[in-house]
Order: sequence, then structure tokens, then C-alpha cells
Amino acid sequence: MKRLFLLIFLLNILLALNAQKFMTKNGYIGFFSHTSMEDIKGDNNQVAAIIDISTGEMVFQALIKSFHFDRALMEEHFNENYMESDKFPKSSFKGKITNLSSVDFSKNGTYSVIVEGDLTIHNVTNKISTKGTIEVITGGINANSKFNIVPEDYKIVIPGVVRDKIDKNLEVTVSMKYTPVAK
Amino acid sequence: MKPYVKIILFIVLVVALITILTALIGFNKKHADTAKVRPDFVITATTLQKEFEDNETAASARYINKIIEVSGIIASTSLSDSAHLNISLKTGSDISSVNCVFPAIGDLSKFKPGDEITLRGECSGFLMDVLLKNCAIIAKRN
Repeated sequence: MKRLFLLIFLLNILLALNAQKFMTKNGYIGFFSHTSMEDIKGDNNQVAAIIDISTGEMVFQALIKSFHFDRALMEEHFNENYMESDKFPKSSFKGKITNLSSVDFSKNGTYSVIVEGDLTIHNVTNKISTKGTIEVITGGINANSKFNIVPEDYKIVIPGVVRDKIDKNLEVTVSMKYTPVAK
Repeated sequence: MKPYVKIILFIVLVVALITILTALIGFNKKHADTAKVRPDFVITATTLQKEFEDNETAASARYINKIIEVSGIIASTSLSDSAHLNISLKTGSDISSVNCVFPAIGDLSKFKPGDEITLRGECSGFLMDVLLKNCAIIAKRN
């Protein structure tokens, strides 16, 4: 009998813990480069992401090959020359909301947050800190952020010949629509 | 002008033209129209997902960058921010599906969970789902 109660107790904890987790498998991450020569935009609509609202932890994972470019040749160069996606197929972020107490997940609304963590691109990891917003809506959570990265910080080599066609800073846009992890 | 000079000039001109044409064609290369290209594999969503789940390394080597024609039942659809359509196909797994992204907005209301469809896409790899991109609908039953 004690065993049964223990089991039910543990199960309840597990369920409760899962009730704190929200996820998406169709998250959006895009990046944008603007130069006088050319605008380049890469879009990924298959980002997997989880947020734990009890701890503020956020994890994102993206396949490099899932980034779509309008120009097929640009997509080819991106994968084969710059990102070497056969060698390094994934990019990830692991971090947390540092001002978690300023978000009331029980009340619908938009909250400003700061997220800090490790961003890994091209097998190079850098600590980043970025501002974003958390929007609590009925049945879900939306997260948005915009920040810049420098390709060279991730050992991404862009040959001199085309370097001027790509902005020194790339603007990264993150847009997630999380729903509760179903049990 | 000496005859051999003329010939050399002609050859240089031809080489230059070929180089320019090749660059232009490459620059303007379009993504493969997956609706028209012959698929490398024809498979069900359940079988495809299971292969990645059982042995991700082997399945990755076999399917990544290939055009795959997948048939299955729609688990869910969603419209993303940047106006792309995502369709997830049911598999034998509760948590892992075949996730397909379509390049242009289609008529989302055409596709509902439970619909049986066949689509073609390029395999990008595996995260929590098998990911296909540049997808096109081939057939829809019921």
C-alpha cells in the first residue's frame, strides 16, 4: 500500500514538473544580413525548443540544413562553405531567463526578459546575453528576441572575395510559440 | 591581323562567354522542384521515423540531402511567422513525427489532422522529428 502511494506521489510530481515545461518543434530562427550589395535572409521554421517556466531554463536546437534561402546557390554555399553542415549539423542554445521573478506565468501579458546562456554554432560556443520578450497567452507562451552575432566569433570563414557582400554583424531573430508538453 | 591571333582571340572570347554563362546560371539556380524531381526513396512516415530512431547515424547517411517521397496521416499543421506551412505526419512514436516545411503559403484549410497525404521533400536530418524541407504535396486522399 505504501509502495502504491509512493508511486502515485512520484507520478504526481512528474506530472506537475511536466506542467512547467512548454515546447515547440516549429520554432522560427532567422538571420539577416544587409549590405549595399545584397540582402541575405535565412529562415528556419523547424527549430525544437523547450522552456521550463519554474526555472527559466531555455533550450533551442536547430538543424543547419533546415535554414532556407531564396537563392539555392546561397543555401549551398551556406551549408558547404560557411557552416560545413555535414561536419557540424546542429546549432544550439542552452541558457536561462535571468530576471524570472519579473514574469508572472499565471497572468496573460507581455514581459521583458534578459536571457543568458551558451550559443553553439559551427562547433564553437560563446556566452551571449540578450533582451527579449515573453508573452503569456491562454494555452501557451510566445518568446521573441533579436540580437546580433559576428560570424568570425564562431570560426565561420567568409572568403575575402565575398566578405563585403555579407554584413559584419548578422541580425538573428528568434520567434517561438510554445505549447504545454502534453502527457 | 595574323590568322593565329584571330584564333586565339576567338578562343578567349568563347571561354569568357562560357564562364559568364556558367556564373549566371549558378547565380540564378532555383531550388529543385520536388514535385517534378524523381524521388530517391519512397517510404512511409512510420518506417522513416523508425529508421532514424533505431540508428540515427545510418539513417542520416542514407537519407540526408536526398529527395524522399513520404506517405502518412497528418498529425498536425501550423502556419509559422514567416508564412511557411508545416505539416507533421504521424509515426509509430508518440513524441517523434516527420516534420515537413513547405516554401510558400498554401491553402492551410485544405489540410487537416487525419488526412492521408503523400508528399516529397529534401531530408535535412533529425532533431526530435525527421525534418524535411522544400516539400511539395504529391497526392491527397479523402
